[in-house]
Formats: sequence, C-alpha cells, structure tokens
Amino acid sequence: MKNKIKIFRAMHNLTQEQLAQAIGVNRQTILAIEKEKYVPSLDLAFKIARHFDVNIEEIFIR
Amino acid sequence: MQRNTFYILIGCIALALLAIFWYSIEIHLPLLIIIAFIVAIMVIYLARSRVTNLIEDERDQKITEQATIRTMQVFWVAFCAFSIGAAMEILHIPEFPRMAPPIRPPVLLPPRLMGYIQLGLLCLMIFLYVGFRIYYARKYGEWDTDEE
Repeated sequence: MKNKIKIFRAMHNLTQEQLAQAIGVNRQTILAIEKEKYVPSLDLAFKIARHFDVNIEEIFIR
Repeated sequence: MQRNTFYILIGCIALALLAIFWYSIEIHLPLLIIIAFIVAIMVIYLARSRVTNLIEDERDQKITEQATIRTMQVFWVAFCAFSIGAAMEILHIPEFPRMAPPIRPPVLLPPRLMGYIQLGLLCLMIFLYVGFRIYYARKYGEWDTDEE
C-alpha cells in the first residue's frame, strides 16, 4: 500500500526509530511500511495518522 | 531483564540441554531429556515475558503466524502419513476368512526405526519452520536497510 510516511516524517523531522518508539513498534516495521513491503493493520495505521495529527487517508493511499 | 541477557540465557539452556541429552543417552533414560526439555521451554517462555527491551509488534507476529501456518500445512501431511502407517502396524490388517492367509505375519516397526523416523520428522519440522521464517521475514522486510 502506497503511503506518505516518509514525507510526514521529514515534515516533522522524525527518524524511523523515533516514530517507531512513539507508536510502539520496531524500526524495521516502519521501514517495511515505507517500502510497501508490509501493509499495517487498521489499528497501526490509525496510530500513525494520529501521531501526525492527520486523517488516515492523507497518509495511506489505495 | 535485558535482551542480550536473555540471548545468553538461551545459549546456556541450549548447552545444558545438550549435556543432559548426552547424559540421558549414557544412562539410557529418555524421561530425563523429556522433562529437561519441557522445563527448559517453560524457563525460556518465563524469561521472555520479563525481557524489557524486546518489542514484538504486529509484523513480527505476522511473520511467526505465516511461518507456523505454512509449516503445519506441510508437516501434518508427513506426520499423518507416518502415523497412519504406524497405526496400521499396531492394529494389524483385518484378516477376512475368504482371503488367503498372509504369507508372513505383520512385523511391528522396530523401536530403532521408529526413532529414526521421529528424528527425521523433527528435523523436517525444524527445517520447514526455519525456511518459512526466513522466507516471510525477507518478504516483510526484516533485513532491509535504508539511508538512515
């Protein structure tokens, strides 16, 4: 699934490690989502969206 | 408990199990290694629940889940095939009166052969699980690197 996590991370000046710690996952998970190798669950997708204070559709694109 | 301490503990347990396995062969007491194995697994599960800096997220769970499902899908066929064969040996083939008497009586599987087959099945299960785990870990980007 295409997503804009990398862009949002850059906008918020966050590393993968910092984002991973904030939402309680491993750095490899963030990397896998960014590289579209892993589709996150709805719960995790909402956590990421909430962390950036945006709607889920703004980060994840079908 | 720190993650590295946990890994050292696993190494120590593995070595201890190997020694117990050897000793149980020496004294020909299989019950010893069976009990030791169960205790070791319980200790590992208990220690794992106390590791502080080990994050197991949904992607890790997905890898484990997929690897386990695929392993079982293949393994149960081999296991059932062997078990059905072994059950036939125990139960004997029914003899019908109209059938000719068997040329030779059914022979039970010798314990040594049973042991080899069990060892083969155990190795098959381990290889299948490790193989599928590596496959799914790679699929879900376990060893991917980034510019960061």
